[in-house]
Amino acid sequence: MAPIIELRNVTKYFGSGRDQVTAVDSISLDIEPGEIVCLVGESGCGKSTTGRMVVGLLPPSEGQILYQGQDISAMDKADYQQYRRAVQIIHQDPYASLNPTQTVRQMIAAPLLRHQAQRSSGSANGSGRRERRRDVERRAAELLEIVDLTPVAEFLDKYPHQLSGGQRQRVSVARALTVEPKFIVADEAVSMVDVSIRVSLLNMLSRLKDEFDVTFLFITHDLALAKYFAWEGRITVMYLGRIVEEGPTPRLITDSRHPYTQALLGAVPEADPELAKKKVHLELRSAEIPSLLNLPTGCTFHPRCPYIVEGECDTAVPLLEHISDGGSVACPVRKSEPSLIV
Amino acid sequence: MSQATDLSWHQNIDENGSQPPLSLQDVHVSYRTRKGSVQAVRGVTLDLKAGESLALIGESGSGKTTLGLGIVRLLVETAEVSPGKIIYRRDGRELDVLSLADGPLREFRWRDCAMVFQSALNAFNPVLKVWDQVWDTAKAHRWNNREEVRERFLDLLRFVQLDPARVIDSYAHELSGGMRQRTLIAISLLLDPQILILDEPTTALDILTQRTIIDLLRRLKEDLHFTMLFISHDLAIAAELADRVATMYAGQVVELGPVEDIFYRPRHPYSLGLIRAVPTVTGGFEELSSIPGSPPDLINLPAGCKFHPRCPYASERCSNEEPQLERVGDNHFAACWHTDAVEEDIERNGLRVRRST
Ligand SMILES: Nc1ncnc2c1ncn2[C@@H]1O[C@H](COP(=O)(O)OP(=O)(O)OP(=O)(O)O)[C@@H](O)[C@H]1O
Ligand SMILES: Nc1ncnc2c1ncn2[C@@H]1O[C@H](COP(=O)(O)OP(=O)(O)OP(=O)(O)O)[C@@H](O)[C@H]1O
Ligand code: SF4
Ligand code: SF4
Ligand SMILES: [Mg+2]
Ligand SMILES: [Mg+2]
Repeated sequence: MAPIIELRNVTKYFGSGRDQVTAVDSISLDIEPGEIVCLVGESGCGKSTTGRMVVGLLPPSEGQILYQGQDISAMDKADYQQYRRAVQIIHQDPYASLNPTQTVRQMIAAPLLRHQAQRSSGSANGSGRRERRRDVERRAAELLEIVDLTPVAEFLDKYPHQLSGGQRQRVSVARALTVEPKFIVADEAVSMVDVSIRVSLLNMLSRLKDEFDVTFLFITHDLALAKYFAWEGRITVMYLGRIVEEGPTPRLITDSRHPYTQALLGAVPEADPELAKKKVHLELRSAEIPSLLNLPTGCTFHPRCPYIVEGECDTAVPLLEHISDGGSVACPVRKSEPSLIV
Repeated sequence: MSQATDLSWHQNIDENGSQPPLSLQDVHVSYRTRKGSVQAVRGVTLDLKAGESLALIGESGSGKTTLGLGIVRLLVETAEVSPGKIIYRRDGRELDVLSLADGPLREFRWRDCAMVFQSALNAFNPVLKVWDQVWDTAKAHRWNNREEVRERFLDLLRFVQLDPARVIDSYAHELSGGMRQRTLIAISLLLDPQILILDEPTTALDILTQRTIIDLLRRLKEDLHFTMLFISHDLAIAAELADRVATMYAGQVVELGPVEDIFYRPRHPYSLGLIRAVPTVTGGFEELSSIPGSPPDLINLPAGCKFHPRCPYASERCSNEEPQLERVGDNHFAACWHTDAVEEDIERNGLRVRRST
């Protein structure tokens, strides 16, 4: 199958001159229809920048982004509009992304009406106004049901401040669904809601994948969440703007190869006292994350990496290479060594 | 990473003394608001034992921060602590914290019971360099020997594994999140308090930074035997650091016990619900389940058990009568009418449902 989204050597610079940073550095990524791909890594590694480029909110500085095989920067207007509808983003903070003066009904009806107008433009005068309104109302109710905001009647007339964080996030998902997206970028979409509610949000998102064939780019800094949500998908690990390791989730979690991935997995605090005690941590040589303004040469992880080979790691930028156990690793030194972590 | 220094001046307290350094007795805290009284903490009774680390876990809004701020009396003016009693003990003397006058209260906050706040950046004065802030604090406590204070603080910075030269003349905003958190912990130790309260010590930090903070706190616990109260919504902090855990729901402690009991033999449906909702990284794939519904409105609390609208085991009794903490094992207490049903559920279905990899 052709990838639904493809990134080819995508780079993003911010700022200029001396202040220029490379937030995303030549990353390539194929996402097949129906797949779940998780993007993980620490704050500032370029996850959101990547997500924003994928949905067209930010143009890449270099490289191409393809939607269904077509370069989005070379699309004609109609194709571009279709792409922008098909690829939606859900943000971390539902409070900031919902209009506080609109009810749930208004927030969902407006894009539905627009979507309907777009689809029926061209076709004959169409149905009467009242009928269209009724359609929209019915569809809004359906969408709220899909995101588990039931009984629907109770939620339609609420304002964002009358909803809990988890409910607000469900409204953002329902709103994204109004345009029947094929691809959703979920950027820390459940990070701000309480643990007791997180799982049902994740399960709801999984259902969209199963029932509506939505493909996901799931961005999170939480490896345990990535493992849960993308167990049947893949995880991509970023460090300072580059992809350092990528692979099917079970392999990446149980047999990671890149020292940075191992450091992350080993460091995650575990909600289980025995596991927490038994867990092996990878000791780093330095706790400090280098600044994007002053990146280390070669492998940018080398100042912290316990496996550094002086003279090699600090000179050549390692390439992402395929490994036989699935996925690829940007570390020539450790790519074939089984993980000591986990 | 650099070798840590030991804090030679730290006074270990007598861990075998019979009296706990901190006792909360039926503590209630409410906030006055236009819509009514928010009952943020309702009847918490708890001892903090010498040398132990106790984790207070629960979801957003369950009253954790309110309780912490109540202990050091830093609540906003609209908050009222009543009824309730907070007793602090050191070297045979006993203080009634709620009736302390301003002077002794300031002393209590630094020398006896220091708190590291939820938001590390807000805890700093933005226009003061770290050292100036430390020196101001020392002077406010009549410690006027500049050299001595500086020596002590340098020791502390090394203990928290920071480069003193880099930190001491910086402004807070010039430090990374992890450095700020470590600096705050160092400052809180300046006057060698007996008790340390840490509110969300790792929240909002990156994973590798979280690990360094957890390791640092573990050294405070294991090497220096600090008495610590951790406040966190993150179960993992409790699993990593606590000797005992208290689960809070809607302002109440609903379960209290040794960390192994809470994680492997929970008896309150809410504790079990939390455990089943949180994935681990190591170990196989586990099925997770969420707790239906959301926490109650603290102005109009439901009758009976406050968890009953969300509880899978709720019976008629639960919606009418409120359960109190009762013993369910050695040092293990739960406030639930149906702890047997929880036990049976775990026996039948396992604690977590694991799929092999
Ligand atoms: N509009 C912008 N202008 C300048 N720099 C930016 C801009 N957006 C992002 N950056 C920088 O690019 C880098 C990557 O940021 P990005 O938001 O993609 O990281 P992230 O991985 O999503 O981090 P987090 O986990 O904190 O959300 C950071 O150093 C950030 O400061
Ligand atoms: N100044 C205030 N005025 C009114 N209500 C308040 C005030 N501060 C807190 N509350 C309310 O008191 C309850 C308990 O809040 P608290 O901050 O103690 O919870 P928490 O468990 O620390 O939550 P979190 O995990 O979000 O930090 C919440 O319902 C909160 O909205
Ligand atoms: S390339 Fe070298 S420095 Fe980079 S991760 Fe591999 S071993 Fe470490
Ligand atoms: S008392 Fe009843 S409602 Fe409350 S936790 Fe126990 S079983 Fe659930
Ligand atoms: Mg981001
Ligand atoms: Mg709090």
